[in-house]
Amino acid sequence: MRKFFHNIRKYNKYAIRSAKAELKSEVADSYLNWLWWIIEPFCFMLIYTFIFGVVFKNNELYFASFVMVGQAAWQFFERMLTGSVNLILNNRDLVTKVYVPKYILLYSKSLTYLFKMFISLGLAFGLMLFQHVPLSWHIIFAIPVLMILYLVSFGIGLLLMHFGVTLNDLANLTNIALKMLFYLSGVFFNIRKRLKGTVGYFILRLNPAAFLMDELRKALIYADMPNFKWLLLWTVAGALLTALGIRVIHKNENSYAKVI
Amino acid sequence: MKKKNEKAPKKIAITVSNLHVTYRGLKKTSIRASWKHFGDKIEKFEALKGISFEVEEGKILGIIGKNGSGKSTMLRAIAGIFSPDKGKINLHGNTISLLSIGVGFNKKLTGKENIYLSGMLLGFSEEEIKSKEKAIIEFADIGDFINKPVKTYSSGMYSKLAFAITAILETDIMLIDEVLSVGDQTFKSKSYNKMKELISDDKRTVIIVSHNLDTIKNLCDEILWINDGEQVMKGSADEVLPKYEEFMKTL
Repeated sequence: MRKFFHNIRKYNKYAIRSAKAELKSEVADSYLNWLWWIIEPFCFMLIYTFIFGVVFKNNELYFASFVMVGQAAWQFFERMLTGSVNLILNNRDLVTKVYVPKYILLYSKSLTYLFKMFISLGLAFGLMLFQHVPLSWHIIFAIPVLMILYLVSFGIGLLLMHFGVTLNDLANLTNIALKMLFYLSGVFFNIRKRLKGTVGYFILRLNPAAFLMDELRKALIYADMPNFKWLLLWTVAGALLTALGIRVIHKNENSYAKVI
Repeated sequence: MKKKNEKAPKKIAITVSNLHVTYRGLKKTSIRASWKHFGDKIEKFEALKGISFEVEEGKILGIIGKNGSGKSTMLRAIAGIFSPDKGKINLHGNTISLLSIGVGFNKKLTGKENIYLSGMLLGFSEEEIKSKEKAIIEFADIGDFINKPVKTYSSGMYSKLAFAITAILETDIMLIDEVLSVGDQTFKSKSYNKMKELISDDKRTVIIVSHNLDTIKNLCDEILWINDGEQVMKGSADEVLPKYEEFMKTL
């Protein structure tokens, strides 16, 4: 664990620089350039709001803000998981030519995803003002919720990154699992209202995406107190996953270059 | 090689002792395949079977051997990309860089950005790289392409930039894998001269892997011949090369 923090400090500048360069390269050749970072999440929000708000008549209060907050959290979670499965393979050139602690690759990637999430959250904030969502001091709870979201995604990501090296089917499996989690996390519907009873109760606690998304909305939109007990449980789970991931990677990372 | 510093105490830069590298275990698999082969014995391939040698600081070691004899594996193990399965590699605290065909570039990024990222991975700070950026770009000599994504480069330009980065950002130990023949004729002689200049530095330790025996003969103080992961002989060019050439003829 000490080695992990030492490496994060040592490679922090590299990770940040690499993340910045990656973001720049993503939009470098496009006509609208960095505007895409805003346009894309905004359009997704419009689509969901139209289909589920107008077509399926969802009368959730502040629905557009509701969707935007949910989407910001979901996309971060999804990007972290899909991004990590093939991370080592996609960096074959790097991994086979120079030593870099492999979680630095995920850490650097996560910075680009964080950047995008904060843009989405900024948009959500704009929408909240536009829809006159009453703001309250509960907003500060968004900070621990986002930190836990990061921790849990990072932990799962580390494990996916490791198994993704040797297990060819993992990308397909992850896609299916994520599709299921997506519909069960309530990006565009309120689980509390639509899935009553035991099913809803468990999904809202055991699906980290659903749980953390709900907590984020409680903090930002509903001015509600968080569920401290489950936040604590997910912090512990996230920390355990991350510690396990780091262990597995320390043990195996030097063999990755032999396989790919 | 003993002639150079007979009196000065030997300072060892690299110690490799009983190095074993085995390819095994983490084999690519799919769920279906692993189900079928569950409990099977894991295939092993021993790439290096107990190699030991030392390189003194400031010396140049050449490694020769036929294809698949474990030369590149050994360089990668010394560079820290693999961990040895058995045995030890001690770099005595020196910084190290592996120069092989194409360093770790991110192909989506520009050449300039890649100079910084590769440099930082080699352990240099942003400021150090900044001070040498101009020299690298000048040496690589690829014109405006330096501001274009690396994926647009020809293989020659790619190697030229890779060589320039490692050559200008000088690490204590340089591992060179078959790159002295990169680029066109002009760049070839330029890189050869640069190589000689780097090598003539008393502090720099170099290991070269090459199939070009002339290069090896001209540059190296000492030569290590490995075959099928085992050490055949180590000695001066005059001792090793004739025997190696004879051996290659019998294949």
